Amino acid sequence: MSTQDPSNIVPPAQPAQVRTYKARGRIFGMSIAVMSIWAAMYIAASAIPALPVPGMAGMITVNAIMTAISGMVLGPAAAIANAAGGIVSMILFPYGFSAGPLGFLTVTMGGLVAGLLFANKWVWAAVFELIIIGAWFVNPQSWQTGMWMVPLPYSAIALLVILVKPLRDWTRRSILTQHKVWMWPAVFLMCTVGHAAEFMTTNTLVNWMFNLSWQYWVPTLPYWIMVDTVVILASTIVGVGVLIGLKKARLPNYADTLEQ
Amino acid sequence: MMNIDMRTRKSPMQKLDGRTKLIALSVIFVLVLLFSHPAYILALLGVVMVIWWSAKLPLQTIKDLFKYFLVIAVIILVVQIFFYPGQTELIRLSNPVPAIGFSGFITLEGILFGVAMVLRLVVIMIVAPLMVLTTPLPELMLALVKLKIPYRFAFIMTTALSLLPSIQSHAAIIQQAQLCRGITYDTAGKFFTKLRASVALLVPLILGSFRDSQTLEIAMSSRAFGAPVKRTFLLDSQFSKIDYLILAVTIAILVTGIVLRILGFGVY
Repeated sequence: MSTQDPSNIVPPAQPAQVRTYKARGRIFGMSIAVMSIWAAMYIAASAIPALPVPGMAGMITVNAIMTAISGMVLGPAAAIANAAGGIVSMILFPYGFSAGPLGFLTVTMGGLVAGLLFANKWVWAAVFELIIIGAWFVNPQSWQTGMWMVPLPYSAIALLVILVKPLRDWTRRSILTQHKVWMWPAVFLMCTVGHAAEFMTTNTLVNWMFNLSWQYWVPTLPYWIMVDTVVILASTIVGVGVLIGLKKARLPNYADTLEQ
Repeated sequence: MMNIDMRTRKSPMQKLDGRTKLIALSVIFVLVLLFSHPAYILALLGVVMVIWWSAKLPLQTIKDLFKYFLVIAVIILVVQIFFYPGQTELIRLSNPVPAIGFSGFITLEGILFGVAMVLRLVVIMIVAPLMVLTTPLPELMLALVKLKIPYRFAFIMTTALSLLPSIQSHAAIIQQAQLCRGITYDTAGKFFTKLRASVALLVPLILGSFRDSQTLEIAMSSRAFGAPVKRTFLLDSQFSKIDYLILAVTIAILVTGIVLRILGFGVY
């Protein structure tokens, strides 16, 4: 048995260094370029004056529509795109954010919960939705008469869509296949999830900052339900148009990433 | 659509490092949330107004901002005046109305707490513009990157800002095209007309912009975005002695504020 001279051993060829920088151009499967464009549109939307709802003091902002549909267009990456757009627009146009510098959190949560749900990461979507609802109830101000009703209207629907498997699957399938009829209610439900997360985060922040009591929240609840319903309906119309348009024009959207 | 004034005025504030300004303004934001006593918040408002004055910013900007917050400020004030559980009776309005939680009189504590909350709103709203009106946006982004905000996130913000004029011009072109198709953007129009106009603007704007994103993606790839090399910056910023001094004062104020709050001061 001969022994090999260690100096004669040829070292194995080193594997070529793989440059993975292309992967760094994407976050949660969405291209950073698309997210930048979305953030830019978000900032531009902040400059569009809000649309007053007739008979009410409430306003429909184009931002609210974009937040509601962002989860379906960008998936979980919507949170990052919305946050980037939200931070810049909050600095440039602070009047759109009643929660001040923390206002970007509201649009981030809206995009995150709807995006996670659309990506079928429903456990995470449920966790974030429950954190949002929990943050409302942690405040002693929320233990007053009737304050439990405030998160109820849309958060209940959001939790149903997230937790009930047949409803969740039907919603996602109807949007992904772009069913001619069922896409509309499915987009409505998905917009409700996004908008619920946004408006509950806003309510929670405002409640922590300005200590508004039940005398404000409870009587104005029906009014806010009406305003939010109009926002969700407007988001549904825009959302369906955008999703169909993106698919027809073969433009990047999160549904493609899911198919891949 | 409103145009964005990105000009920065020459002032002592402009000479400070972006990080110093971000930290100082964050401390003001934290302190204003920490205290609920009107005297403490008024003192903070005084500090903010001195900074505003030293930055040579127009007071008209504050007036413009306040117009948007007037409604919420009035709501906050009214709710606190009528429903804050105070002890010092000032004006008796009626008998107690338990159904709505109204004691029947307005209290001194209610008025002071309401004023404190409105002052808090004012401070919160004028702190953020102070940053952007005294810092050129590339410096602001550099400050975020130097504060260890992930580069890709800062890139999204920077790119979004640079794309903003192009998106706004796209929106203007779409509005003109839709106008030719009979969709009016007249602000005096009916609600559903305006809603239809918004939809008619948003859908083509999003689709057109997404088309442009493909060009941007190719440009990013061709410049090896995300290559594993040490990133360098065209701009650079260093802390000066003034920055260190302001940071030290800011941190001292924050620590004092937290200690005061723990000792029970500044709470109403």
